[in-house]
Amino acid sequence: MATTPLAESSAASGWQRRLANLIQPIVLLLPSGLWLTLLLVAPTLLILELSLIPGFRLGQPAGSYGLGNYLEVFQPVYLQVIGRSLGFAVGTTIVCLLLGFPVAYWIAIKAPKHWRNLLLVGFVLPLWTSSLLRAYAWITILRPSGLLNTVLELFGLPGQSWLNRSPAVLIGLTYSFLPYMVLILYASLEKLDRRLLEAAADLGATPQQSFWKITVPQTLPGIAAGGLLVFIASLGDFVVPELLGGASSMTVSRLIYNQFLGATRNWGLGSSFSMLLILAVSIAIALLLKYGDRSAARS
Amino acid sequence: MPPTNPRKFSRLSPSPRFSVARRRFLQTSAAAVSGIVLSNCARNLSNNTAPSAETSPTADGTTATDSKTLHVFSWANYTDDELLKNFKDQTGISVVVDTFDSNETMLAKMQAGGGRAYSIIFPSDYMVEQMIELNMLMPLDRSRLKGIDGLMPKWQNPVYDANNAHSVPAVWGTTGLIFDPQRVQEKVRGWDYVWNNVDSLSRRLTMINDVREVFGATLQYLGYSLNSTKPAEIEEAYNKLLEIKPAIAAFMTNGWEDQLASGDLQISMAYSQDAIVLMEESPNLQYIVPESGSSLWTDTMVIPKSAPNPDAAYEWINFMLEPENSAKLVERLKFATPNEAAFNRLSPEVKNNENLFPPQAILDKCEGIAPVPQDIADLYDRFWTQLTST
Amino acid sequence: MTSPLPSAAPKIRVSWQAILTGLMYGFMYIPILILGFYSFNASRFSATWGGFSLRWYYSLLNDARILSALRDSLAVAFCAVAISAVLGTMMAVGLAKYSFPGKGLYRGISYLPLIIPDIAIAVATLVFLVTVGASLSLWTIIAAHIVFCLAYIAVVVSTRLTGLNPHLEEAALDLGATPAQAFIKVLLPELMPAILSGCLLAFVLSMDDLLIASFTAGGGANTLPMEIFSRVRTGVKPDINALSVLLILASGFLAFLSEYIRFKGNQRRLK
Repeated sequence: MATTPLAESSAASGWQRRLANLIQPIVLLLPSGLWLTLLLVAPTLLILELSLIPGFRLGQPAGSYGLGNYLEVFQPVYLQVIGRSLGFAVGTTIVCLLLGFPVAYWIAIKAPKHWRNLLLVGFVLPLWTSSLLRAYAWITILRPSGLLNTVLELFGLPGQSWLNRSPAVLIGLTYSFLPYMVLILYASLEKLDRRLLEAAADLGATPQQSFWKITVPQTLPGIAAGGLLVFIASLGDFVVPELLGGASSMTVSRLIYNQFLGATRNWGLGSSFSMLLILAVSIAIALLLKYGDRSAARS
Repeated sequence: MPPTNPRKFSRLSPSPRFSVARRRFLQTSAAAVSGIVLSNCARNLSNNTAPSAETSPTADGTTATDSKTLHVFSWANYTDDELLKNFKDQTGISVVVDTFDSNETMLAKMQAGGGRAYSIIFPSDYMVEQMIELNMLMPLDRSRLKGIDGLMPKWQNPVYDANNAHSVPAVWGTTGLIFDPQRVQEKVRGWDYVWNNVDSLSRRLTMINDVREVFGATLQYLGYSLNSTKPAEIEEAYNKLLEIKPAIAAFMTNGWEDQLASGDLQISMAYSQDAIVLMEESPNLQYIVPESGSSLWTDTMVIPKSAPNPDAAYEWINFMLEPENSAKLVERLKFATPNEAAFNRLSPEVKNNENLFPPQAILDKCEGIAPVPQDIADLYDRFWTQLTST
Repeated sequence: MTSPLPSAAPKIRVSWQAILTGLMYGFMYIPILILGFYSFNASRFSATWGGFSLRWYYSLLNDARILSALRDSLAVAFCAVAISAVLGTMMAVGLAKYSFPGKGLYRGISYLPLIIPDIAIAVATLVFLVTVGASLSLWTIIAAHIVFCLAYIAVVVSTRLTGLNPHLEEAALDLGATPAQAFIKVLLPELMPAILSGCLLAFVLSMDDLLIASFTAGGGANTLPMEIFSRVRTGVKPDINALSVLLILASGFLAFLSEYIRFKGNQRRLK
């Protein structure tokens, strides 16, 4: 008598569960799926379509489809823009890696254990502040009458105009994305198997040897992930080149901005640059996945 | 648009290459959604010359619907808190001012539909003509304008807008160079100085963020018309500009003021209005109209067709036309008014300010920017993109 | 020497890594400190020190434009995050629990906003909105922000879901709970720390977004980053420095909150 209601209820719940298994995924996944389709996938496909209409401008009759916009990209001046953007991205990645690795290494390995979390949080705290204001802070430092020149002059060195040049952009980008690099490298270094290092030391390896033979290979996935993140972020960044770069550092994202909200309104050309940017980022991700798979297979 | 060549977006049969993309598109997105997007794509983008009048602006966002709020889209330095306060006291309408730094930026924003809150815009002369062509401006009802007859004769029937049918002139001025005489190498008379001192100017020069102003000044320097439509001349100007590219810190219409005053910049190309505002604070600065000439511009007040609050817009225009208000504003903000009645009320000191009201000899060297045919405009745009990209 | 416990003091060998790390901390904080320093500068020009003053804080608090921009930004961030919290959590749970054809594509698309540069998303959204004839307003900003807020919240919740005991919910169902009850009573509390920290992250990103808001704003809507950007480009007064200090304090508080939530979440997990 005690068992019957239980059996009944479980039968009912079984039927319910089957229905739920049918409805639940739809309820859970449809809203966001629709939203992403509507406001991400459809817009991106529209941009693809626009990029195939040479010289498309809002309010003017559209021309026929063609690859004109992509051909225009190959003009020397635009190749220079693309080269500059890639240069900034690669440069920022390398500088962040060179500066970030020792910091992450020190926090993860050398620093007192119970301080590590706090030290890490302290390092990434500036990420929580407005990226615009952080770039603006660099204007006040790099301008000719700014802090950097004041300090240089104290040491008797000649000041110069740092602002509106490429190094200013590189400094700004490094400043913006260094914390990401440190965060990812830290996560990777923290998992480092210390026993390997100890074993290497026991076997007579110098610290340098064990660093290059153990630490670096072990953290390679972290280096790759951090490098990729910084590369993507600095490639697409708009604020830093716009505020610190002045007239001499047009990048792909500034160019796209100008084609849509700036003076020249060539939506076709802007769209093709936008597609190229997406392509570049996708290639970077694909490389990481391929590379990541290989390194996973090795280990 | 010529009727001969309108291969419109919508009439195209999809090419085989594209139909693959379209099939994928249909797979990834809900059929209904893609149907709406693709069938409207053509009409909406190609014919979106302006926020059209039939779209109800009241369905807009949160702030635009309020009839007691007037959104103004203007250049910097044309309004101040006192003006907005006086206007509110007199009419009960509170004003929100957003600023733009070039006519083209303003047009881009309006065309993309981001400007439907604005009931008053301040485009320059040639842009008024272009916006009329694009059917973006509301014709003004003369019977609702008070004091428009008080304008100086020159502005009663301007070339860009016959009889001021769509626009009311508000401010005029020149474009020139502002600098600190103590910090430059030699006496600055015009653009010569810039081309002769590229090395010492290294990243200490700013130019206005406007294609026609920058190219116009260079064309004049080369001895051509500010409004040249000859591709060879425009290309020559582009090559000439490349020479001074290493000297240019940034293309900015405003924002150079602090850096010029503190000596971070040596010379800025500026609108007279912005230069005079700064010289009030830093009297050591000097403004000149280059020897080779410059542009003479008129900024106007217009009501876009999409204006959510045309009544308040008329109130605004009438308030600005009122000689007493206008004269007070000119005394405060130091801009050149085309309003004769207001000019007569100015103090002698302001009236005789040559930066504000330049003598006829200087004005004779100046030209107004005129619209150019579409293919030439595209050429200017292309060279501008290249100039700013190198 | 006079210290009662000399051996307890941690011995840190001053290596070059330590020095470099110290320098990098300086690099990260000097710009922020400089903004703070100049915010108390009475002089209008940042190049000269004109004495200590709070005038820029007063001028900031009386600046109607900044305040209304702050209001718009908060409205956008709160609306976008609130909607994304629901949708993003549902998405993460759905993706974790069910497999269906096209799941890989769905998941891939949901990661896109994390990867595609802002400028590309902004431009695409603008073209789409113009194409469908939507009139730009505060609501279009919110709609566009939901896209990336959703993605970030879903990712944070997903990582939490993978570490969760999958049998908990089944046990609840076996005990007669309806799927909705099981979800609300069992799963949701477990996910709460992740949802909250995802929300905080999304909130900060939304408050910081310049590009997407610039391209989708209309109808007089003006967010704080848009206002700051236009001020930096058209000439700043030092009240921007004062604003930075206040924003940095606010975000420092948020960062602390986020760490606290993460800490609590980890504690819970360990129990």
